[in-house]
Amino acid sequence: MTQLFPPVANTLARAALLGAALLLLGGMGLLVTIPFTPHVTRQDVVVEQPVQFSHAHHVGGLGLDCRYCHTGVEQSRFAGLPPTHTCMTCHSQLWTNAAILAPVRESLARDEPLRWVRVHRLPDYVYFDHSIHVAKGVGCSTCHGAVQRMQQVRQVAPLTMGWCLDCHRDPAPNLRPREAIYDMGWTPPADQRARGEALIRAYMIRTEHLTDCSRCHR
Amino acid sequence: MTGGPSLPRRQAALALLASAATLTACGEPPEEIIPAVEQAEDAVPGVPRRFATALPLGGYGRGVVVTSHEGRPTKVAGNPDHPASLGATDVFAEAAVLSLYDPDRSRLVRETGRGGAQVASWEGFVAALAPRLRVLESRRGEGLALLTGHLTSPTLLRLIDAVRARFPGLRHHAHEAVGEAQALAGAALAFGRPLATHAALERATVVLALDADPLGPGPDQIRHARAFAARRAAQRGGATDARLYAAEPVMSVTGAKADHRLAATPGLVRDLAVALAARLGAGLPAPDLPPGAARFLAAAADDLLAHQGEALVLVGEWQPPALHALAHWINARLRAPVALTEPVGPATPPATLAELAGDLRARRVDTLLVLGANPAYDAPAALGWAEALRDSGAFSVHLGGWRDETAALCRWHLPETHPLEEWGDLRATDGTAAIAQPLITPLYRTRSAHWLLGLLLGRDDLSAREAVRETWAAARAGADGEAASAAPADRGAGGGGMAGQGAGGEGAGQETANRGTADRGAAGRGTADGGTAGRDATRSAAFERWWRRALRDGVVPGSAARHVAAPAPRLVPPPTMPEGPFLLLRPDAALWDGRFANNAWLQECPRPLTRQVWGNAALLAPAEARRLGLSEGDLVRLTLDGQALEVPVLPRAGMAPGVVALALGHGRRRAGAIGDGVGADAYALRRPDSPWAMPGLDMRATGRRGTLLRLQPETPLEGETATLFRTAVAPREPVPPSLNPPLPRGAEAWAMVIDTTRCIGCNACVVACQSENNVPVVGPEEIAVGRDMHWLRIDTYDTRGDAQDGTGSGAGPEADPRPGFQPVPCMHCEHAPCEPVCPVAASVHDSEGLNVQVYNRCIGTRFCQANCPYKVRRFNFHGYADGQEYASLGAPVVAAQRNPEVTVRARGVMEKCTYCVQRISAARRTAAKEDRPIAEGEVVTACQSACPAQAIAFGDLQRPDSEVSALRRQPAHYALLEHLGTRPRTTYLAALRHPNPALEDGA
Repeated sequence: MTQLFPPVANTLARAALLGAALLLLGGMGLLVTIPFTPHVTRQDVVVEQPVQFSHAHHVGGLGLDCRYCHTGVEQSRFAGLPPTHTCMTCHSQLWTNAAILAPVRESLARDEPLRWVRVHRLPDYVYFDHSIHVAKGVGCSTCHGAVQRMQQVRQVAPLTMGWCLDCHRDPAPNLRPREAIYDMGWTPPADQRARGEALIRAYMIRTEHLTDCSRCHR
Repeated sequence: MTGGPSLPRRQAALALLASAATLTACGEPPEEIIPAVEQAEDAVPGVPRRFATALPLGGYGRGVVVTSHEGRPTKVAGNPDHPASLGATDVFAEAAVLSLYDPDRSRLVRETGRGGAQVASWEGFVAALAPRLRVLESRRGEGLALLTGHLTSPTLLRLIDAVRARFPGLRHHAHEAVGEAQALAGAALAFGRPLATHAALERATVVLALDADPLGPGPDQIRHARAFAARRAAQRGGATDARLYAAEPVMSVTGAKADHRLAATPGLVRDLAVALAARLGAGLPAPDLPPGAARFLAAAADDLLAHQGEALVLVGEWQPPALHALAHWINARLRAPVALTEPVGPATPPATLAELAGDLRARRVDTLLVLGANPAYDAPAALGWAEALRDSGAFSVHLGGWRDETAALCRWHLPETHPLEEWGDLRATDGTAAIAQPLITPLYRTRSAHWLLGLLLGRDDLSAREAVRETWAAARAGADGEAASAAPADRGAGGGGMAGQGAGGEGAGQETANRGTADRGAAGRGTADGGTAGRDATRSAAFERWWRRALRDGVVPGSAARHVAAPAPRLVPPPTMPEGPFLLLRPDAALWDGRFANNAWLQECPRPLTRQVWGNAALLAPAEARRLGLSEGDLVRLTLDGQALEVPVLPRAGMAPGVVALALGHGRRRAGAIGDGVGADAYALRRPDSPWAMPGLDMRATGRRGTLLRLQPETPLEGETATLFRTAVAPREPVPPSLNPPLPRGAEAWAMVIDTTRCIGCNACVVACQSENNVPVVGPEEIAVGRDMHWLRIDTYDTRGDAQDGTGSGAGPEADPRPGFQPVPCMHCEHAPCEPVCPVAASVHDSEGLNVQVYNRCIGTRFCQANCPYKVRRFNFHGYADGQEYASLGAPVVAAQRNPEVTVRARGVMEKCTYCVQRISAARRTAAKEDRPIAEGEVVTACQSACPAQAIAFGDLQRPDSEVSALRRQPAHYALLEHLGTRPRTTYLAALRHPNPALEDGA
């Protein structure tokens, strides 16, 4: 009677077993890592907007302050997007016939709001508040990156809970003086750790409560 | 099995694979940000705004401050400056915001022709009315009738007077199913003319309530509850004489809080009043009282006489006018703190509904306008009002918010705006006026009563705002001569508590630019011009200043009714009451006269004392039930004058023998998806001549069982009542030792102290919590299987439940129960039993001592619920708020009510009271932005702000000077189930009474 399996079958069986194990481990690894990939976090993903608004031009080029358009940032959880009227304060005088601005003019003429696509998106169970962050020394560029160099705004930070907690556990490296909050070119000085610690005291930041669940979830 | 095509197996597998692939490929849809085209200057998206306005109950206004998120009103709170609110609310005010978003609200004009009700248009209605108005004008208004509820609005009354000037034959009828007709008739008997009575409980030391329920639901509940609670709290200090006696056939909230209560039949209530009058020298033959009642009366009379000038006798609306008249005589003798004013409402008393029914039958009315009233449901069936209207063939117009029973009868139905959508003005019971401003542009193409009355005046498109401004401009112009200087400047400075309120109250209706709901342009408001003096006066700068101030404060300064000096009341001996079993009707504590029946929060609001939800029941004494062989839930047939009604019975301790009590407001036929067919319609048995107490009742068992849902079934506590619900100061027990490490305390340590002496069990806190925290309604089917979602419940104890029934003495717990109310939110235990059992750490503590529930971690094992000794955790067995809502509550418009600061919980998630963590967080962020700690009193929980009796205190235990710290040092302070060592942060003050030693002999 001939052998049913040739000698190579042994090797194949071992390889198959090993392969299955590797597949399982790899699958689990994927499950764990996929949520942190840009595919899920939308990090660095550029989305199509109704108007090709360039932060690089308005902030980097013209030097507009963030609060000119994002008026709610110091009072509200929501920084706010400018109403059409804000755009038209300048663009009723400048570039009045530019094709790129057609949707803005149309919005005003028809009294229909522009529908922007959200770039920085947090889950509904997260209660983030812009106003408290800018009041306590977290600058715009700390989370939003070098917006002044972006033609199209994209999300530079992963916005995962781990990323939030990195700062909530140890805010000192990311704090800056209140005068520099809207300074898009701010870079941490050499003695940032010491300066950050001093700011925690000066701004009365209660670090013991920063990692409570109820801080962001309710 | 299913109707789909049967596929071969391979194809089916491929189809499954394809759909699975589609599902996995789906990401979340992109989210949009839609800024306004033009943003109102003072509106910041994400920052809620607050506006003062007023809400009606029985025609009377209660001032409220409504929170609006991006133009959506979401939460009603009290207005501290308004005398009928004093900063607190009641269940009706709290729930108004849900009615605004009721998907069953009427949205379309309808005309009932030969082919049934058909959709029509406003223009069609105006065209149909115009020729009729010309005919009416030619015969000077003969045949024109107007039916309203009780009206206090100065503007509507002014417009009705103007309509009467054009149509002198107009007859104005008013109908209020739960009104004050008996009290006013009683005052007319005593003083010769109807006068409104205002009892000042805050100045009364000894009060005898004869079937009166000042602490029960009604437009004066908040004012009375505040005054009562203040007297009760003073007694904790020790020295006090304040005492409340109650004699009543049905246990009311007032009876529950009384120091002494006597279960008295209607006849005995009358005899008690006569005996008291005789004791005061009325010269009436003193009736024979049973020994227990005689003792009660003797003690009460001694007490009243010893406190002349501070003694008060109250008689409830449910009693006949003669007894009210007698009470006026007694109060005059006692020099009681009672003020009299002209009735707040129309200057000439309107005709009644019965007269309208007569006019309809006699064909004297051919045009009938019904503004807001619903007599087809809430008129006594014996009046035959609906039949009279149907047979008369009159041209009938119904203006109302819902297509209710009356709308179905009338030829035209016009959808009315909700009070939160429209300008208006309302007077409180004391006459204080408040201007109501809209919180939102009307959701649908609805119009107000002002518009309809304007149409009768030939002023097409009269806006409510314009009408209200004309009224007040004219009133200002008239008042300028006498007291212009006194009016505006000095208010608000001392108010304090309104700091966060939007100063520019006007224009609330216009701030909805980026919402799709408001389709009716706001542009027309206030631009129509006219020529009368009032219209000119609205343009003056002084009026504008006054107007903005009145809107901001929510009250019109100096508008309270003047007290009148009445002649000495005449002594009218009340006739004896008929014998026989009585049917007693009462307004429902949550549905009032039935107008709130389509409000799911109110339907599911456990009624005080009975804790019944979703329906009503015939209440009767337990001895009576035993005699008839009835037990809780048995269906009985009540027959009165040939009319029959089937209703489940609920035996209740404290009911007088020979009476059956039933709540009005149930059994609606056309309320909407929530309220239709819930409970039994007691109006079927109501008599027009004696609306509250009807002798000659026949009650028979049917042998069947009815539906009776209660959130707290009666449980014998086997001697534990005294530890759970304390009625006396007990020595402090040492806190049991614990193996758990002590909780580290952060900057704040939040705690709540609930004073059960003050609590009147009114449920305002329960509905306030529901409104603030997006707490869903579960519906009757879920309640029936023991599920409910209220984060805060009011446990009702019978503090004498453990006492032996002294059979025959009539003083046992069954005849003389002493109920106590204990609101139970989460205890936020320092050593919380829920926490160590959670496998995913979804139940954890934060550094401020809150026991927080992290919904996004929760996997729904329910171990925490099982381990919670206080049973305050609530589980979403279904998506009660998220996809599986009860009845119509899943409609998209209902979502507009939700508080955006609180997560809407999904199915399979545990939830519970959070101490309003969103309010703590908001206060913390405000304080942190100003670089200061949170001030004492800065965090006010929703339940605390609603409480009319101020029974709930909340604050920081780390501050020795905080209110909670002070209350925790009180001798009456105790913790629930303290021996378990959970160290709760929510604690209680014992419910103390001040019994009369003459009546306390160990009964």
